[in-house]
Amino acid sequence: MDKAVNFEKVTHTYQVDTPFSQNALENVSFTIQSGSFTAIIGHTGSGKSTLVQHINALLKPTDGTVSVFDRIITPKTTNKNLKQLRKKVGMVFQFPEKQLFEETVIKDIMFGPLNYGATEEEARKSAVNAMKLVGLSANFSDSSPFDLSGGQMRRVAIAGVLAMNPEILILDEPTAGLDPRGHKEIMDLARHLHDHNHMTIILVTHQMDDVVDYASNVVVMDQGKIVKVGPPKEIFSDPKWVYKMQLDLPSSALFAQKMIDTGIKLKTLPLTIDELADQIVQIAGKEGKKDE
Amino acid sequence: MKNIIQVKNISFHYPDKPLLFDNLTLDVHEGEWLAIIGQNGSGKSTLARLIDGLIVLDKGQIIVDGLTVNDQNIFDIRNKIGIVFQNPEDQFVGATVEDDVAFGLENRQVEREKMHEIVKKSLMDVSMLDFRNRIPANLSGGQKQRVAIAGIVALSPKIIILDEATSMLDPRGRNEILDLVYQIKKDNQLTVISITHDIDEAANADRVVILNEGRIIDEETPENIFQNTGQLQSVGLDSPYTSQLLAALKHRGIKPQRSYLNDEELIAWIKQLISKK
Repeated sequence: MDKAVNFEKVTHTYQVDTPFSQNALENVSFTIQSGSFTAIIGHTGSGKSTLVQHINALLKPTDGTVSVFDRIITPKTTNKNLKQLRKKVGMVFQFPEKQLFEETVIKDIMFGPLNYGATEEEARKSAVNAMKLVGLSANFSDSSPFDLSGGQMRRVAIAGVLAMNPEILILDEPTAGLDPRGHKEIMDLARHLHDHNHMTIILVTHQMDDVVDYASNVVVMDQGKIVKVGPPKEIFSDPKWVYKMQLDLPSSALFAQKMIDTGIKLKTLPLTIDELADQIVQIAGKEGKKDE
Repeated sequence: MKNIIQVKNISFHYPDKPLLFDNLTLDVHEGEWLAIIGQNGSGKSTLARLIDGLIVLDKGQIIVDGLTVNDQNIFDIRNKIGIVFQNPEDQFVGATVEDDVAFGLENRQVEREKMHEIVKKSLMDVSMLDFRNRIPANLSGGQKQRVAIAGIVALSPKIIILDEATSMLDPRGRNEILDLVYQIKKDNQLTVISITHDIDEAANADRVVILNEGRIIDEETPENIFQNTGQLQSVGLDSPYTSQLLAALKHRGIKPQRSYLNDEELIAWIKQLISKK
């Protein structure tokens, strides 16, 4: 697999040369493979948002190098010629619906492509495609985005990013404030974009259940440093360490932990409901059937 | 039991929209923790805004602690109710944490000496006294909500409404805020209405109301609400974790007697299964 993103000894200092100077990232090195689904986790203030904002050069390193495909960003990179990079890296911020502003849904989604030099016709085509991708009916095209529900507004905002055909999609807490149905719709969309459109997905999240349900690779941050990288199984294998990072276990691991505390023996710490249910069936047999 | 809030046969619609509430009635008992759950758009937050007189009814009446919500009573009613909103960014006005907590007191012309005392105590109640000179914008989400709660506690309301107040927080921050509100409720004998779609938050309530498309479709204890997982699903809400695990076990041929058990009950039942093997 190709590298989509590579950080080489990246440090980012906020308010350099002031008494408030603070290292938000410290000597960070890691790689994200093209086509992977990566979750970035870490407690509030650990540097997750600062990290991802380097990937589309919204922030530039104070020291070190960020590469995104063949584009290299260093502290000396100027703001010129970043358009191509930003087109490749789609960024969905928290509460993206707050950035909607056009009169109609279709105009709002076309704004990005037009801004990047597409013709009216090209932009419309991209927008129509993006609406299909996020599951918004074409009937909404001429509605005001502000007449839609919260979940629909968020999908319009995401469509606006997808209309630029990014190769990397960064989602910063994309489901915050949505109800369970809206949450599942957005997460399933991320999975679809990964599986069918081969997008590289980078998800910043506090929700450990989403990490185990959707991501194959996890980056754990603490105090501006990357402290662990690996598949979910590895990341959550040591509950004590997880708690030390001020993170939580996924719901199933949490419940299994409670079972273990009462003396029930489990072979491994399950991360999903199915894993836990399988283990319970194994140790209990199907005796339960007679327990009706 | 005394009803601290009575919502009587109210109707309401937003301009150019169909009727959201049509003859809705709901009582809130004094001293209870009431969870109102429902999808986005079900009318939960609208109901809170009507109770606080932020928007005006089409028909019906709302009575808060003996006072009808109307123009004459609006300030007295707002003194009785503190609302914590989803996004604390939207509610900060002060340059520092301390100023922000003092804002409501200044509006009510509390004298300076007394104000200092109340601000200090309120910040102590939410464990944020050390942050009193900080700029609110530089705090974490959980800390911001603590400051917002201090601002409410300072005005000693009788009712606290949490309007999705924990939905932007990580699980740890969420639990801390809920524990904090629980403590404040207990210490000051308050009534709490928590508007949420987090089923685990609803599990801690005394009573749960399910709102769907502006109608109350159920009003019960959390245990009884959770028995009916089909109903939760049909209105787009999650089932509690234990119900999901029971469903997965049922799928594998192990059938429980009931469709909802709390953590302890479920673990006890699993232990029973193992010992029978």
